[in-house]
Amino acid sequence: MASSKTRARDLKMTGLAASPGIGVGRALRLDERGRHQFYYIEVSAAQVRTEIRRLREALGEAREQLEEIKVRLARELGYEHSYILDAHLLMLEDKNLVGELEQEIRARRVNAEWAVRSVTDRVVKAYKQVKDAYLRERASDIEDVSARLLTVLSGHTKFDLSAMEQDVIIVAEDIWPSTVAELDFNRVLGFATNAGGMTSHSAIIARALGIPACVGLHDVTRRVKTGDPMILDGESGEVIIRPTKPLMRAFLERRDLKARQRRGRQTDTARPAETLDGTRMTLRANVELPTEVESLALFGAEGIGLYRSEFMFLNRLPELPSEEEQYLVYRRLAEATGSAGASIRVFDLGGDKLSLEGFEQEQNSALGLRAIRLALKVEDIFRTQLRAILRANMEGNLRVVLPLISTINELREAKRIIQDVKGEMAEGSVEHNALLPVGVMIEVPAAAMLADIFAREADFLSIGTNDLIQYLLAVDRANEHVAHLYQPLHPAVLRTIAYLVRTAQAEGVSLELCGEMAANPIHAIALIGLGVRTLSLTPASIPLVKNAIRSIDLGQVRSLMSDAMKLASADEVESLLARELPRQAPQFFAAWPAQG
Amino acid sequence: MQERKVTISNRLGLHARAAAQLVRRASQFTSTVELLRQDTRQTADGKSILSVLLLAASRGTTVFIRTDGPDEERAANALVELVEGKFGEETSDGLF
Repeated sequence: MASSKTRARDLKMTGLAASPGIGVGRALRLDERGRHQFYYIEVSAAQVRTEIRRLREALGEAREQLEEIKVRLARELGYEHSYILDAHLLMLEDKNLVGELEQEIRARRVNAEWAVRSVTDRVVKAYKQVKDAYLRERASDIEDVSARLLTVLSGHTKFDLSAMEQDVIIVAEDIWPSTVAELDFNRVLGFATNAGGMTSHSAIIARALGIPACVGLHDVTRRVKTGDPMILDGESGEVIIRPTKPLMRAFLERRDLKARQRRGRQTDTARPAETLDGTRMTLRANVELPTEVESLALFGAEGIGLYRSEFMFLNRLPELPSEEEQYLVYRRLAEATGSAGASIRVFDLGGDKLSLEGFEQEQNSALGLRAIRLALKVEDIFRTQLRAILRANMEGNLRVVLPLISTINELREAKRIIQDVKGEMAEGSVEHNALLPVGVMIEVPAAAMLADIFAREADFLSIGTNDLIQYLLAVDRANEHVAHLYQPLHPAVLRTIAYLVRTAQAEGVSLELCGEMAANPIHAIALIGLGVRTLSLTPASIPLVKNAIRSIDLGQVRSLMSDAMKLASADEVESLLARELPRQAPQFFAAWPAQG
Repeated sequence: MQERKVTISNRLGLHARAAAQLVRRASQFTSTVELLRQDTRQTADGKSILSVLLLAASRGTTVFIRTDGPDEERAANALVELVEGKFGEETSDGLF
């Protein structure tokens, strides 16, 4: 394209550094429409025929689907009502439309998805300009047909990402869990997204997969087109679009150096996470995708400290996963973790995500109907999950964690339901293991302050730092205007955690901590200095955190943290740690950048 | 070529249901089918639903049906019959 000559080189954009590592490669734009995400890809002349074949197959399959629906509708509602589907069917057969779609693929050399999108966009636009209100409405019929085609295309005739000749950096508005499931991770060098904060799904997924990521870039999708060379630095949050050669070389060198360092660090996964003065820590894994269980041994994780069950739900919406489907996933977790066990967090979703009747998008979803509040409202869904967990518990040591608990009544009500489900299963002779510890996620400040009360009625406490920090400091990390105020080392956070440690000890209940904080070596050491003994974190970060633990003296770190808690601000804590940790543990922290 | 002049007289005009019927009927013939709005001189391919819909021919619009090909006469007659029979609309509630 002629315009590419004039497009700026070395265009820098800064977002949030969401997952460490450096990616240097070419961009692959991921677009979205309704419930679909798809690629814009320039295909080779040879592939044009493949794309046209995919389009024709999709048209055929979409027609078959509509024929079926039409027959059903005619049977149930009468013949007249099936006419609207007739219009949809005719659109799929419309020679002009089909011709335009094929022409789009041929002339622009794009994949079928993109052709469907751009051609139907043009048609919709034409309809929206018609004066007739009724006809303007027909634009929605075209969108419906377009969505059906995209669904079919994203199904079994999916564009094959492995057909690409190069590894790519995915550029998207956001990355959806269902899309991630389709990616060939070996070909993905990084994620760059417009939306999202550190705890957004794309960030969590990227960290889980060990793929470098920058999120919250606002309009990176508008500035990059597929095929543009780009650099992504998951440590500084910087993205460089169309870099000049010298810059590219510099980053490639840095990337290779980092890769060598990482490999060096990962060699000692078999050794325990023990401090120099002999205190053993437990490092468990945060898991989102069931396939991650295969990497637990590789990274030396001792069981799963947090399985975010909502990912299973998100992948399936608007349908919900059945008991059997959930059972198979939980059983896999139970079998993979054995005696170390796995903690399953009850689905932590908002009602709007479940697309349930009567639950709409809320203005302030962080403070709204979600997590345990929702689970207690949609008790049937909660019960299905519990049954699946109790059955899978036959194969290992599962635990259940209740998210967003803020009052004791929620814990009591959840325990009553769990008891009831067990009773039902026993009565119905459904095989299960009723020995299921129930824990409370401490993430609402109110629950932290009443930790002693909760400790008496729960089997264990689990500090969820992502939300606890958000609620304690009243900061939404996804909001770039206040993201800098999200400070894990804020003395208020440190004091709260120290209080939780003391309280759990006094009440004789086990305490663990999960959250992104634990994946940062400096923060992890701070947590250990506060008395936390069990951390659950992204599996890929376990070797690094373990090395940090093995380099410190617990006594020294404890006294360092008791000083830190007396400080006035996160900045002061940070400078104290940046000064003292390299002195105390030079073999690890001298080489570690102060910013972590 | 055959050309017939018709006035759209069914209540909802050439909306999705009527347009679908017209396109289905037109597609049964080998001849090409072109619709021409008398007032706007806008034309549409009678075998393309998207094209026919865009004509936005509401009740009272005068349209020329032009057919061209081996079965042009039968095609023209069949389409005129459909339009004048108001697409069988009286028997439905005209929801679509």
